[in-house]
Amino acid sequence: MTPATPLKRRKGILGALAAMALTLALFWSLAVAPPDAFQGEVQRIMYLHLPSILTAYLSYFLVFVGSAMYLWKRERRDDLLAHAAAELGVLFTALTIIEGAIWGKPTWGVWWTWDARLTLTAILLLIYTGYLMLRSLIDDEQRAATAAAILGIIGFFDIPLIHMSVYWWRTLHQPPSILRPDKAPWENVHPAMLTALAISFVAFLLLYFYLLSLRYRVGEMRQEISALKLARGA
Amino acid sequence: MGAWGFVSLAYGIVCAVILVYWIILKRRYRKVETELKHLQSEHTADSHETN
Repeated sequence: MTPATPLKRRKGILGALAAMALTLALFWSLAVAPPDAFQGEVQRIMYLHLPSILTAYLSYFLVFVGSAMYLWKRERRDDLLAHAAAELGVLFTALTIIEGAIWGKPTWGVWWTWDARLTLTAILLLIYTGYLMLRSLIDDEQRAATAAAILGIIGFFDIPLIHMSVYWWRTLHQPPSILRPDKAPWENVHPAMLTALAISFVAFLLLYFYLLSLRYRVGEMRQEISALKLARGA
Repeated sequence: MGAWGFVSLAYGIVCAVILVYWIILKRRYRKVETELKHLQSEHTADSHETN
């Protein structure tokens, strides 16, 4: 048996915190938060749906920053961050679309509709799935990183479109509950629901950073392997 | 399906997807870590031989 390194211990602590926060979030969302006056119990899906998309946005912001930094400084760690964040962004966007479909059926009567916000979110998922595919299709690592960085930056501009789509076009999707230009979150959402939402969001953030640290380290170790193989071959 | 049915479906899918992704990621992590350790020990042995 070997003792855990400080880095591994930190990851373990983050993982344990995420698990505890997720358990609390589940309990709060399903048992403590009151049902909505109009939508009833089905509104509880909001405690998953909103944190999922906000986590996805955060992930794509990291892809944007990592990609821009890589194109500027050409440091591999920035590319590693962008790659890891893109994978997680795709995961959380896919979850958002699934949760939205399940919420849409009892409230709108359909699983899916070609509404501006839904369509733009689907496009966001396609862009970053394309980002991951692009990386695996180009053999030259540097060329793959450069092409992916350009796509990672362009793709990010879909996010303001998604956010503003409910104001710019007539859509079925409701306006934002939290990030509204005209109202503070506590003016729009009941405090009991806002508490559940805040707990869920913190839990998703902890989970996100735990998964990101694992995924980033996988990429880092893969690079060390390539460097060692290259050194042995030389 | 009733309201709680939709809620259970959403929460169930999210929990399952996150759990599966975490398991896959952990496996990838262990696989790459093992390969790296193996290569590092070989590399150290090689450099000792060269010296």
